[in-house]
Order: sequence, then structure tokens, then C-alpha cells
Amino acid sequence: MLAASATTLPAFLVLSGCAGPDPLAGPPPLSPDVRGLFAAVTAENNLVTLYNECISVYSGLAPALRPLLAEHRAHLARLRSRIVEPPGKSLPAKAAAGASRPRVAGGEPAAVTQLSSAERAAVSANLRRLPDAAPDLAQLYASIAASEATHITALAEWHR
Amino acid sequence: MSTDGSVAAGSVAALQAALAAENAAIYGYGIAGSMLSGGERAAAMTDWKLHQEARDTLEALITKLGATPAPASAAYALPFPVSNAATARRLAATLEDGVTRAYLGLVAVADPALRAFGALATQPPAQRAVAWRGTTTAFPGMPANLPAV
Repeated sequence: MLAASATTLPAFLVLSGCAGPDPLAGPPPLSPDVRGLFAAVTAENNLVTLYNECISVYSGLAPALRPLLAEHRAHLARLRSRIVEPPGKSLPAKAAAGASRPRVAGGEPAAVTQLSSAERAAVSANLRRLPDAAPDLAQLYASIAASEATHITALAEWHR
Repeated sequence: MSTDGSVAAGSVAALQAALAAENAAIYGYGIAGSMLSGGERAAAMTDWKLHQEARDTLEALITKLGATPAPASAAYALPFPVSNAATARRLAATLEDGVTRAYLGLVAVADPALRAFGALATQPPAQRAVAWRGTTTAFPGMPANLPAV
């Protein structure tokens, strides 16, 4: 009876000219779409955390910020729904559970400016994900970027 | 932008759809503006001009790809009766939603330059829809009836 060990099987595959995937090499690398989704989920998680912190520090901002926070939660849910968690990989929300809380700027105007900067960075990051994304995922990133662009305007209105 | 045949065909179709949405918006703002007054009328006039500029840009892109821009219709069916300022504001927001959706269609094409153009072009109409409606939305340009997650 022939038994294949971890050392003999790859040698056998090479010798037999088999070009298929190596079953002993572990899980395949993440696709560009999944890597992009992980980054997008992390970014949305960070925005949700920052909004929560701003609301908890400056409760007077809550009426203006809660609708925007709800939309970021909707973005996060939609992005997370697109990921089938690969074995051995945790979605960023779980991985970042122990991460430190963001530092909220001093004073309501500065906090709103901080949120606006974060939204602007998120718009740019989502646009950077477009070239490598599948068409439907690219549309999701673009729609989220457009939503975040409207948040920048909404936050600017608060300053007036 | 790519000149590959199949890529160009998809790009032209998406550009024509965006052009149709811009032409509908130009027509619709004419109706909406007539029901508005003061600052709202001025805003409608500004938006009307922005849509004309966007139409010109799209026509140039379509021509550059070797196709002929589809002409505007003489008239468009309004999605609901527009008889006062409230319905005019609602029409303006609806027109902007349609334009946002059309540009999001461009984001699905293979040509990366056109994809980037479409993504950037979704933002102004999304902003104007918020200005007319008074509220933001989580997914501008996406179908509203997507399954809940």
C-alpha cells in the first residue's frame, strides 16, 4: 500500500508534472475584491466609531450626527454582507475589537471638522478601490463615496 | 480611454444612458423652475445650467468614442403631476436621483478612466438631490428596493 506523506506528495506532484493547486499550501490568497472589502469594512468601522465617540462626548451634536451615523452603519452592513469570511481570517470588526478609541477633537466645531476630514478621506479611499473591483462592487463603493460626499456638505451646513 | 470594440460599445451605451438622464433633467428643471420663486428658482436655474454643461461633456465623450450622441426628446413624461413648489422640489430631487443612477451605470464599465469619471460624476447630483429633498441617503443612485442586510 502506498502512503503519501507531507514531504513525498509535493515531490510526487512535481515529478508527475501536475500543475494544479498544491493541497498542502494552505488557503489561497485573498482575491482583490475581498482585500478591498476588508479595507472598506475597516474604514467604515473607524467612521462609525468616530461618530459614536463624537456623539458621546458632545451630546448636542447628536441630532445632526445620528442620521449620518445610521447611514454609515448601513454602509457597513452592506459591505459586510458581501464577504464570506475565509477560514483563518476575521472580519475587521472582530479583529479591531480591542483597538483603542479615537481621540475626539476639543470643542464641537473642531469635532465636526474632524468628522468632515474623515469623510473626505473615506471618499478618496472608496474611489481608489474602483479600478480593481468587480463592476457591482465598484458601484457600491461609488455610491458609498457619493453618500459620504453628501455628509461633508451636511457637516459644513452645521458650521453655518 | 480604451478603443477596444466591446469595451467601447459598453462605454457608449452607458454614456448614452447618462446623456438621456441629463437631457431629461434639463427638460424637468424647466418645469420645476416655473413653479419656484426667489432663491429656489435661482437654485433651479443654476442646476439647469450645470446639467447643460454635463450634457455637453457627455456628448463630447460619446463623439470621441466614434458614436453619435442621442438627441434629446421633444418632451418627457413627468413621474408625477407638478403643480406647486412642493412638487417642483420633489421633481428636482427625483431628476437628480435619475442622473445619479445613470452615472453609477458608468461605474460598471470596464474602461477604468470612464469608471472613475462616472464615480466622480455621481457626487454633484447626489448633493443636489440632498439640497432639494433636505435629507441624505445611504446609497445614492442604488435601487431603493435592494434586499435588507
